[in-house]
Amino acid sequence: MAITRRELITGIAKAGVPAAVAVTVGSEVLKAETIPVPSAAVGLLYDATICIGCKACVAACAEANDTPPDTRGDALHQAPSDLNDLTRNVIKLYKAEDGSEFSFAKRQCMHCLDPACAAGCPFQALHKDPESGIVNWSANECIGCRYCTITCPYHIPRFQWVGFNPRVTKCELCSHRLAQGLKPGCTSVCPTGAVIFGPRPVLLLEAKRRIENSPGRYYENRVYGETDNGGTQALYLSHVPFEKLGLPELGPESVPAKTLRWQRRFYQYFALPAVLYAGLVQVIRKNLKGHEADAHEREKETGLRAQL
Amino acid sequence: MTSTAANVDRAVVRKNERNNERWERAVPVYGFPVINGFFVGLSVLVVVALALTAYRELAGLGPVSGMNDAFGWGIWKTFNVMVLTALGSGAFAVGIAAWVFRRKNLHALMRMALLTSFLAYACGLALLGIDAGRPWNFYWIVFPWRWNMHSPLAEVAICMSIYAMIPLALENIPPVLERLWYFDSRLRPGVEKIEKRLHYFYPWIIAAAYLLPGMHQSSLGALMLLAGERVHPLWQTPWLPVLYLGAATFMSFGCVAGTTMLCCLVWKRGMDMDVLDEAARITAWLIFGWLGLRLLDILFRGALATAFHFDRFAGVFWLEMLMIAVGGVLLLRSLRTHDKGSMFAGYVLSSAGGMIYRFSPTTLAFRPNPEALYFPATIEILVSLGFISLGVVGFLVAVKRLAILPAPLYEWHDMASYFRFRRPYIRWTGYFKYGYYGENEEEPASGD
Repeated sequence: MAITRRELITGIAKAGVPAAVAVTVGSEVLKAETIPVPSAAVGLLYDATICIGCKACVAACAEANDTPPDTRGDALHQAPSDLNDLTRNVIKLYKAEDGSEFSFAKRQCMHCLDPACAAGCPFQALHKDPESGIVNWSANECIGCRYCTITCPYHIPRFQWVGFNPRVTKCELCSHRLAQGLKPGCTSVCPTGAVIFGPRPVLLLEAKRRIENSPGRYYENRVYGETDNGGTQALYLSHVPFEKLGLPELGPESVPAKTLRWQRRFYQYFALPAVLYAGLVQVIRKNLKGHEADAHEREKETGLRAQL
Repeated sequence: MTSTAANVDRAVVRKNERNNERWERAVPVYGFPVINGFFVGLSVLVVVALALTAYRELAGLGPVSGMNDAFGWGIWKTFNVMVLTALGSGAFAVGIAAWVFRRKNLHALMRMALLTSFLAYACGLALLGIDAGRPWNFYWIVFPWRWNMHSPLAEVAICMSIYAMIPLALENIPPVLERLWYFDSRLRPGVEKIEKRLHYFYPWIIAAAYLLPGMHQSSLGALMLLAGERVHPLWQTPWLPVLYLGAATFMSFGCVAGTTMLCCLVWKRGMDMDVLDEAARITAWLIFGWLGLRLLDILFRGALATAFHFDRFAGVFWLEMLMIAVGGVLLLRSLRTHDKGSMFAGYVLSSAGGMIYRFSPTTLAFRPNPEALYFPATIEILVSLGFISLGVVGFLVAVKRLAILPAPLYEWHDMASYFRFRRPYIRWTGYFKYGYYGENEEEPASGD
């Protein structure tokens, strides 16, 4: 007893719908949503209470990455007003309006455990190194869509606006120096030790030790980046609210996990779209036959060739 | 020669057809030259845009646009792609109504829908390639293992290109084949063979033409999800993909039906009010469903209070909501009063409101930190206009050379006699002088 093609197709469809729904909606944890901490995650610890704002790290960063100094401000000094296409690392000043408090803020890539820039990057030009956890940019995959400048909650990646071969500039934690056994440029010159480099767990312990040693010195007695935005590899200590340093309060869930939950479920294994497609084909096959029959009938009535 | 009985039937049909305004078949716009002042003006804009594009490729994006570090996306993406492809979703929205929900009347609008969609997508994609900083890396699109499957932007870029190049292009082939069929009887066997093959694959092509836009029109909304708090709470919602898709449906209905009405007005065609009423009814329902969903979403997220702040965000919010709602009301009223004017105004208002909605999250309601402003540079606007003009130029050529615009049956015969008696020397339209099926066999084709 052979089954017809129609029976085969409808049978598959009937089994496929619940299967697809189960796969997409039912599965509790999606692969894309679990954030593995890289095995050898390295990072930075920046303590805003120690930073004296000497900007040695800014110059060292440019030197280490072989970028010309950004002198567009006054055509004399390397004084970038913010991160830009020549600046991977910058020291900014926060001053309260009434002058009661101030703080320096070092801005560079946070190397998030679940980076939003990499989540949005269409061809994985921005990708997280599975071992060191450094978020790298590769020129060979980047199409220059600038989606990373929209998605990054810290507003880090910057696009080069001039020239026919633009690049995306962001801190890559001096990967080329790490490979030579050197420390990143910024940490190698800091005179007060405000920014230090090391494995993320060690830096986290050090930060917690500092908080324990001087209770009340640090804002909320916590380390920014331990859990914020799903955890970052650049950690911050500060005596002023983190938001004043340009670090928004994002909660413990990472931005991609928070916002793309349903998007990711819908496209999981491409199961739901595939089932939808099969259903559409069936419906349209049926309706197409009716439409063609009507058209050919009118063709006979009007004597004009049917337009399908 | 055909039989006498058939001739009698045909005579009855022709006697009655003058009174029948039903859109029976698509007829090319005849008697109007393609090249006129308007057309030349648009062509100049296109040429200017292409020249400026060459400059942009050499100089980079900064010198030609108002984009900056805070607003990484300018109108090329946020208007020409995000807004205009929503207007160009007719092939998706009208198509689903006609083919899936069996609104048979709407088949009359299908060729208009397919053409406007194809042009909107093609021009949008071309500008997307120009907007990309490193377009030479687009070749990764053919290596699926390089795709970031969970990126909304990858979804949009890949899905949109595939859709415009394969299903949408194939759906637009029948009018071209039809022209070849009428052009020369020697081409007919070949054309019929291709048509047969195309019809065989039609269900798969059409189904893909509904699945793919459904995916990327919603993913266009998902793009801004990752921007998080920087999009004002009146727009930022987990429902953004659904709302973007919904806006595309009623906007594209407005675009297709509104453009068809405008064409009928300009080129003096009869309007089939059965079809237009049905389109208006569906559009009105889509509009009120969409408005309800949006208001409920804002209410349940507790963002309603921000709509009553005295700032530009509340202003834009009320502007778009009012335009869409008034458009919907006008459409409903036109169903009662059979007033073509208010129907057209309803389409224009609701589509324009939808355009502002699709534009807002990326630009008007985008709040970068630190505060910054974006206003498109002159060159940017000229290029954007040039690529819109390219679409309009394509449209004008297509409706005058191919059977796209729906018309009552007598238009077809009028066209045939127009070319037979008043323009017999135009060889390239010779094929349209043969009105009836089989008539071509009686005399040698292609006028030699």
